[in-house]
Amino acid sequence: MSARSLVQESGARSEFQLSEMCNAMKKFHRRRGMIVTQLSAYEVELLASLIMQLIELISDGEPNGFATESKADDPFDEIVKNLEGEPDEPGPLEDPVLRRLFPDAYPDDPAASADFRRFTERDLKAAKVAEARVVLNRLATTELGARDLKIPREEVESWLRTLTSVRLAVATRLGIKDAAAADELAALPDEDPRSFMVNVYDWLGFAQETLINAL
Amino acid sequence: MVLMPDSDGESLTPAGGTAIAERPVDEILAQTPWVTIVWDDPVNLMSYVTHVFVAYFHYTKSKAEKLMLQVHTTGKAIVSSGTREAMERDVTAMHEYGLWATLDKSDK
Repeated sequence: MSARSLVQESGARSEFQLSEMCNAMKKFHRRRGMIVTQLSAYEVELLASLIMQLIELISDGEPNGFATESKADDPFDEIVKNLEGEPDEPGPLEDPVLRRLFPDAYPDDPAASADFRRFTERDLKAAKVAEARVVLNRLATTELGARDLKIPREEVESWLRTLTSVRLAVATRLGIKDAAAADELAALPDEDPRSFMVNVYDWLGFAQETLINAL
Repeated sequence: MVLMPDSDGESLTPAGGTAIAERPVDEILAQTPWVTIVWDDPVNLMSYVTHVFVAYFHYTKSKAEKLMLQVHTTGKAIVSSGTREAMERDVTAMHEYGLWATLDKSDK
């Protein structure tokens, strides 16, 4: 999810439109047990694009791509499927976004970390993809922002976790390794090529913060 | 971790025995030999980290905020303790939430 490909895929038209979007994002609020807001068409498209890129990144290298249909009729098929997909020794994650999404559990013990990874990483990836799809489906109900976005209580955690995954991915691409890097980015001049992604990052943070406050 | 017997001398156990009130340190450590540590990161919102501690560990908001502030100001905090298997479950859950967590032996 490089900054440039994100811009191209999201069809960003201008910096002005994006800054308009950030200033105008309506806070989430609670209404009759649901968490509600109105998104612009641009916001819907942007968020959907980010999430689809996240799914692609996480699913990369998975033979079945975490398909939603699972033939659970024959348990033997499931076993075979799992064996085919499971790496003997999961190698070190190459993409820094994946390294941040799936960190080592035993920092001083590479063998224990590798074991832990072998048993947990696939399920963790599948869970993140499943939740990302929940969010995409809910976004689709807004019909590109024509209708309110209404998140039912039972989907809130999926939204929070997916927003977090996307924020982590964008932050990694922006090189936000520590608080100092984050501060530096906050002070970027508008002409800096990274400022688009910084605006997206701020917008995502705003969305998540207001969602939590609305709970 | 409550290891000490009550300071005013009253027995803490119904039958009056001291076996529960004065458990050897070794036994306590054997039952909670591992800990889950959450590390600070520059991305996650303070409100989100607090929310995770409430939602997953069912801590009170007050305790969750204290732990979150400890992560934020000192760089890390121990958020749970127990067997190695239980800590692996907790670390996995923290990773599901996008927090950065590791597990370690509690005597380190």
